[in-house]
Amino acid sequence: MVSARPTLAALALTLTASAGCADLPEGGVARGAVLYQNCDQCHGKAGEGSTLVQAPPIAGLPGWYIEEQVLHFQWGWRGAHPDDVEGLKMRPMSRTIKSDADVKVVAEYVSSLPAAATPATLTGDAEKGKAGFATCSACHGADGAGNEAMKAPPIKQLPDWYIVRQIGKFKAGIRGYQAEDAAGATMKGIAGTVADDAAARDLAAYIQTL
Amino acid sequence: MLEHYMIQGSSYASHIDGLVWVVLLITTFWFLLAEGMFFYLLWRYREQPGKKALYINDDLEHAIKYKWVEIPHRLILICDVAVILGAVSVWSEVKLSMPVTDETVRITAQQWAWTFRHAGADGELDTADDIVTVDDLHVQLGKTYKFELAAKDVLHSFSVPVFRLKQDAIPGRVISGWFKPTQAGEFDVQCAEICGIGHGIMPARLYVETPEAHAEWIAHPTHYLAYKNK
Repeated sequence: MVSARPTLAALALTLTASAGCADLPEGGVARGAVLYQNCDQCHGKAGEGSTLVQAPPIAGLPGWYIEEQVLHFQWGWRGAHPDDVEGLKMRPMSRTIKSDADVKVVAEYVSSLPAAATPATLTGDAEKGKAGFATCSACHGADGAGNEAMKAPPIKQLPDWYIVRQIGKFKAGIRGYQAEDAAGATMKGIAGTVADDAAARDLAAYIQTL
Repeated sequence: MLEHYMIQGSSYASHIDGLVWVVLLITTFWFLLAEGMFFYLLWRYREQPGKKALYINDDLEHAIKYKWVEIPHRLILICDVAVILGAVSVWSEVKLSMPVTDETVRITAQQWAWTFRHAGADGELDTADDIVTVDDLHVQLGKTYKFELAAKDVLHSFSVPVFRLKQDAIPGRVISGWFKPTQAGEFDVQCAEICGIGHGIMPARLYVETPEAHAEWIAHPTHYLAYKNK
């Protein structure tokens, strides 16, 4: 049975934010809310994510980043590596969104969802992480708010388990393997400077404090 | 005739189709006979002026039972035995036996992708030249392959309709089987066991290549999902 909740939420958003979404493809965030019902099986109805299926929270992430990542999944630039267990789940799901216009409206809908705080699930030394974060801040900002011009997403709202997992993937070449994915390739190089899993946990602990 | 709709792409595909034919012919024969007799009796003993219905006594019932129930029953049992013998023969060939194989391919299922580890030019798995692909299986025409099938998360089923091959993949187990491709071409692979929301979008592609084309692919696995020396 199709839930009416996302549709109603999107209708409200359309009414309140229609002026700001004038350049969105036909259907706008209302269509994005309907299409999002394929995503909410793992990412949750409010985009809160699920540790059970290793799906990160995505609510409130910038639309440009969500759009870009969904396209990367569709193209095989992300989530196509044989060892990327979670990415291989996301890849076929991303392809259920049939057009670039639909990707855009879904991204805008997800971006419009309010981000929620993510509780700590790992133990790490935030003080040590703060020193290591200097490298990260060059792109992601000292406050972890991200920088669109550098294709660096905000990371301050990401859960610690997801940060550690992604650093591991970048280091192992499971993510950021595609040469055309400049930001991913850059991140792959930067992740290589994170010494080990403990250092990644320290970084995640610090990011939690931002 | 079945091959008209789905080509027989493996050495045992025709044997499985033959078994399907045996079952189909036997069931069709008995279905037509039973339905024909049913309608004939309806017509033959329809209500007619001056004829009264005949009550069945014990002696008559016994004779009727023997003629209309016992005899067909025994004949159908003979047909069952024929089907079972055929099925056991085909099952034994496809599932229980392991012929001498030329190469091994490792298949891993997960939500919602297939990972294939091919032997490289040396023909051996777990060596530096292995080729790992996602959702693309490349095999050589005429070679006999052993496959090792595993699942990372939940139940899946490796289904290759042109091979008439379907094998469940079970987490925690490595299940072996075999196939010998007999038709070159590009064919479908599909998960045949419900495995989550992405089950319906968990296909893969099977490429059965001539020896020359397969050697070329091994030398240059150009697909962007192919990882050499991983």
